[in-house]
Amino acid sequence: MVEDKEQSEKAASERKIADNKKKKQKAEENKDADLSEEDLELKNNLLLMVTRLGEGEPGVQKLALQQVANEIRSATTSMTSVPKPLKFLRAHYQTLVNAYDKTSDEEVKRQLADVLSVLAITTAKEGERACLKYRLLGTKDAVASWGHEYIRSLSGEIGDEYHARREKEESVQDLLDLVAQIVPFHMTHNAEPEAVDLLLETEKLEWLVQHVDAKNYGRTCLYLTSCCAYLPEDDDSKVMQTAYQIYTKQKQYPDAMKVALMMNDQELVKKTFASCGDPLVQKQLGYLLARQGVALDLQEEESGMQSWVDNLDSELQSELQEIISNSKLSEMYLSLARDLDVMEPKLPDEVYKSHLVEGRQPAGPAVDSARQNLAATFVNAFVNAGFGQDKLVTASLDADGVSTDRVHWIFKNKDQGKTAATASLGLVTLWDVEGGLPQIDKFLYSKDNYVVAGALLAVGILNCGVQHENDPAYALLHDFVDKQDPVVRIGAIMGLGLAYAGTQKEEIADLLTQLVTDTDVTMEVSSFAAVALGLTFVGTCHAASVEAMLQGLMLRGETELADPFAKQLVLGLGLLFLGKQGAVEATVEVAKTLPEQISQYAQVVLQTLAYAGTGDVLQIQSLLAMCGEHTEVDENAAWKMAHQGPAALGIAVVAMSEELGTAMAHRALEHLLQYGEPPVRRAIPLALALLNVSSPTLGAMDALSRLSHDTDAEVAQNAVVALGLIGAGTNNARLAGMLRGLSSYYYKEPTLLFLVRVAQGLVHMGKGLLNLAPKHADGNLLSGQQLAGLLALLYSCFDVKGTLGGKHPYVLYYLAAAMRPRMLMTVDVEGKLLPVSVRVGQAIDTVAQAGRPKTITGFQTHTTPVLLSVGDRAELATNKYLPLTSVLEGVVIVKENPDYIETNE
Amino acid sequence: MGQGQSGQAGFPGQGPPGEKKDQSKEKKKWEPPPPPPRVGKKQRRAGQSSLGAKLPGITPNAKCKLRLLKLERIKDWLLMEEEFVSNQERLKPQEERNEEDRTKVDELRGSPMSVGSLEEIIDENHAIVSSLVGPEYYVNIMSFVDKTQLEPGCSILLHNKVLSVVGILQDEADPMVSVMKVEKAPLESYADVGGLEQQVQEIKEAVELPLTHPELYEDIGIKPPKGVILYGEPGTGKTLLAKAVANSTSATFLRVVGSELIQKYLGDGPKLVRELFRVADDLAPSIVFIDEVDAIGAKRYESQSGGEREIQRTMLELLNQMDGFDARGDVKVIMATNRIESLDPALIRPGRIDRKIEFPLPDTKTKRRIFGIHTGRMTLGEDVNLEEFVLSKDELSGADIKAMCTEAGLLALRERRMRVTHTDFKKAKEKVLYKKKEGVPEGLYL
Repeated sequence: MVEDKEQSEKAASERKIADNKKKKQKAEENKDADLSEEDLELKNNLLLMVTRLGEGEPGVQKLALQQVANEIRSATTSMTSVPKPLKFLRAHYQTLVNAYDKTSDEEVKRQLADVLSVLAITTAKEGERACLKYRLLGTKDAVASWGHEYIRSLSGEIGDEYHARREKEESVQDLLDLVAQIVPFHMTHNAEPEAVDLLLETEKLEWLVQHVDAKNYGRTCLYLTSCCAYLPEDDDSKVMQTAYQIYTKQKQYPDAMKVALMMNDQELVKKTFASCGDPLVQKQLGYLLARQGVALDLQEEESGMQSWVDNLDSELQSELQEIISNSKLSEMYLSLARDLDVMEPKLPDEVYKSHLVEGRQPAGPAVDSARQNLAATFVNAFVNAGFGQDKLVTASLDADGVSTDRVHWIFKNKDQGKTAATASLGLVTLWDVEGGLPQIDKFLYSKDNYVVAGALLAVGILNCGVQHENDPAYALLHDFVDKQDPVVRIGAIMGLGLAYAGTQKEEIADLLTQLVTDTDVTMEVSSFAAVALGLTFVGTCHAASVEAMLQGLMLRGETELADPFAKQLVLGLGLLFLGKQGAVEATVEVAKTLPEQISQYAQVVLQTLAYAGTGDVLQIQSLLAMCGEHTEVDENAAWKMAHQGPAALGIAVVAMSEELGTAMAHRALEHLLQYGEPPVRRAIPLALALLNVSSPTLGAMDALSRLSHDTDAEVAQNAVVALGLIGAGTNNARLAGMLRGLSSYYYKEPTLLFLVRVAQGLVHMGKGLLNLAPKHADGNLLSGQQLAGLLALLYSCFDVKGTLGGKHPYVLYYLAAAMRPRMLMTVDVEGKLLPVSVRVGQAIDTVAQAGRPKTITGFQTHTTPVLLSVGDRAELATNKYLPLTSVLEGVVIVKENPDYIETNE
Repeated sequence: MGQGQSGQAGFPGQGPPGEKKDQSKEKKKWEPPPPPPRVGKKQRRAGQSSLGAKLPGITPNAKCKLRLLKLERIKDWLLMEEEFVSNQERLKPQEERNEEDRTKVDELRGSPMSVGSLEEIIDENHAIVSSLVGPEYYVNIMSFVDKTQLEPGCSILLHNKVLSVVGILQDEADPMVSVMKVEKAPLESYADVGGLEQQVQEIKEAVELPLTHPELYEDIGIKPPKGVILYGEPGTGKTLLAKAVANSTSATFLRVVGSELIQKYLGDGPKLVRELFRVADDLAPSIVFIDEVDAIGAKRYESQSGGEREIQRTMLELLNQMDGFDARGDVKVIMATNRIESLDPALIRPGRIDRKIEFPLPDTKTKRRIFGIHTGRMTLGEDVNLEEFVLSKDELSGADIKAMCTEAGLLALRERRMRVTHTDFKKAKEKVLYKKKEGVPEGLYL
């Protein structure tokens, strides 16, 4: 009986085929001939099932369905081809659809829908979303049983459908139910990125948190945080929030803190700090905060942490405060230096290495000896920065500052040279408040105003990034701000700016805002005050300062606004909005009403700084358009083109945070170089410098080396400074050689030679222990304080004649705000140095990679403390200790691994 | 050739000085000398040193939203670049100016130009050159010649009268190598391969997929194989399969026969291998197919003849290129041989050749398919029963079957028939098998 039936079915099916065109039949037969026996059997079997399904008897249908489902599920095949059952069933898809429409039995119908849904992933037309359609009609049982290819295709269709329905404002509940089924599957099958993608598409990211466990939180959060740079403005904060929640849920406070800092949310930072219960981890958080330059005051009343702080015992509290305020930075830095055996002070000549220079030596009457001394001052300061000893300014101090045998170095300089030389004392004793101040102190009472100014500046530099409990900088400096002599004033103002960079100290605002608004004060002094304010309140939108600066700009006459220093004032304003994105809009509107000499310039500066490090494409587009303008201007109206410089630099400022933007910005700069007007070309080296701070890549070095021979002297000058910045603190031999070549090439150009010398000093900054890179924590965090310091110098380079090469060479000391030791130091739970072996190598992007991919390549094994270059990453080489943070940079607390077993190997 | 060296596309800063500079010239007493160019060794790739010749790589290889977002971001940037450049071109057309410059350069070069070789670079502007015959000259190097590309020994264009260097002739690659590039895809496709399903799948996994879907391998966490070797009896379809690969891939396909790599002069063979892989790297993703690799890949032994040693050195170069110091990214190697046992073990060790794919004699099923393929376009008589041949116990390779079919066709032609009969096939089979078994040493066809 059964056989009969089968045969009749076969005949029926054959008839069906016969109905088709004959050609097709022939092809079909040929195809059959190609198949192996098992395949043929499978094919006929499936055919049989399909015809049975069409018959419409529920019992038979059910059985047939089950068999088809089994065939599909059990099919294994290589990734090169479609599974065989699917291949054979392809032809019958339409038949099955018809059968589905005909079937009345609900259960069969649902099961059939399941099968159809699976078939639809290969068969259905694109855009039909048949897979999803039948899924929703089918049984609601486990999606997972059909394999991950199916789920992947389903996820894609859910995303599309969701958007389509959202547009039509239909209900999406059924889709969300499905999502709720799929996400756990993804999360438990190493497909975290897919889960995140699906939730992002359906705007249900908050569901993610419950599915994360100790195993997959790392991959999930890594994916989330790396997505955020490319998502539109609202989504990115949501993503960040989720990452933050996951990290706190998993008690990964250092990572949570990193995310909080990325969001630049002061409240969240405090909350994270307070919610973390482990004093050791708190200390680690403290180190991170100190590195980022967030001055958290634990004693502060209204910080909302009062109740928490009260619970702390005072010893821990003072320890934490000490860490956050960087008080031990100098000590740590010196121990690093001792460990690497570089304590011996270096003379500028040891940096120039003139004996290696081929060709003409800068010598003879052509050399400007004042410039040479000035250069030596800076080189000495940069090279010995933070070491507390050198051979020029501190060496001959023994006999109460009045050396017996020869004139002290400071007095071998003239005017601003003296200021710079005295201020270099501050840089040499950088961060060492207790050791440095006595050395500077005596110059504060000098009769020479230039020396006093230098001493004031030195005090400021010394305190940069360090908050001492007695607050000596303010006490020493605030009286001098009101002195009549502009030199002394500028020294004091700049000192204050540097000392309190990023601290948001209200007293500074009280002191300096009046200088900005008062039109009787010269533009020069006002502009320095503005930059100092900008440094102090960097990225806070500090209302009083904003108001004061805008007022200052409005009250000044047109001639004063045409002054180059007016531009520095604008920079101060811009720094207040650093990275604040939308918050700048109102101020930009005000800037539009300013006199035309400064209006456009101000708008550009405000916009670019506000979007610093966001990679915002729209900003870049408008900046590129600005750089592409060509207007004929006569000599007196040079201000019409002035905004092009910041616009070109702005491209780098906006694009600098993520790798893609950086790489693409390089391309854009190349185009600008070809088409741009002189103001744009002058800014290109600066932009390049900002994109490659302390990381001398070959491409950038080559480009800058070409530009440093440019026929336009200003381009060449900026290129030389840029060379110094990209090599800052790297001791890069190639770069050093390049600069030596330049020093003989420009042996007759005093300004350029001076800049080459400075660049040489920068390359050997801190004898290679420091760098200026504002990005840290694996390039995820951008320190506003450091960026502000860099920008203050770069903007000064728009007017080299008036600043670096002229009356204010000491603007170079703005870099003090950006200097950080590039070390990895491990300390034990007590806070004592603990040498641990680590592997240091080039970082690899491991986002969304399977398994446990290696995070570094080309590594070497060292014992801490070690130096890390930009783009380097470190990992512990032993299991004996566990680090308290996932990112090994700066100071890291390690504790012993309780599971560690000593082996003899 | 040589036109690209005129250097006008370089930086504006090095171009003709603008008007502004002319004004300041009178004031300035001293001006820095022109920047020292880098002379000596030729730079490998000229474009590499510029800021952004290449697009940045995108890291998650798996298909995910992050990858999409990153690609979109790059697209945004490129669109902006396009907008900027097209705007600038509209404002300041460069085309005409370039054209003008070019004609000027052409005038300076004169015509015809003679070809010489650079002997030595004396300083930035002077060099010693020699023409193919005759003495050496001390001549000028014209300023528009790209000096970074000059290196002693390269061929250059000389002015016909004063013999100054006016251009560089770049020998991009050995012409021998450029011949190896398969320009026209062969007609054989995977459909023409009878059976060999396993082999097709293996070669696809090892060669094609790593080039088209690298993310699959990354997902699993393995490195895709670098190369495969196809081995087996003669006539089992090794070359055919390679042709099918070439047919289906869009990657550059370079094919060499082992014997081509054996050269007359010492060092030429290894140089050719080097060139081959360099070209493959330049044109990556690419597939290098070395047929009959036993010609150079035989086991090393103490040999007296210089020729044999040279062949061995060629093989050593091949070893180095396949898994040596320099990483080869998207270059896959396919080798084919029918004597795998005679190959040097170092050549086929994992890491160089990760997959060894055997091509056995066809089984009955496959034989049936091969017969089907070859008789597909023949007019067969009613009485032809191919099953008889398929089921026979004789060892028939794919090539034998093809020969049989051809032979049968020829027999039919001899008798002026338009139809091939069963007897034709029978006779043909006898002929083919007779030739195979009797008389001559095995493995030789007469």
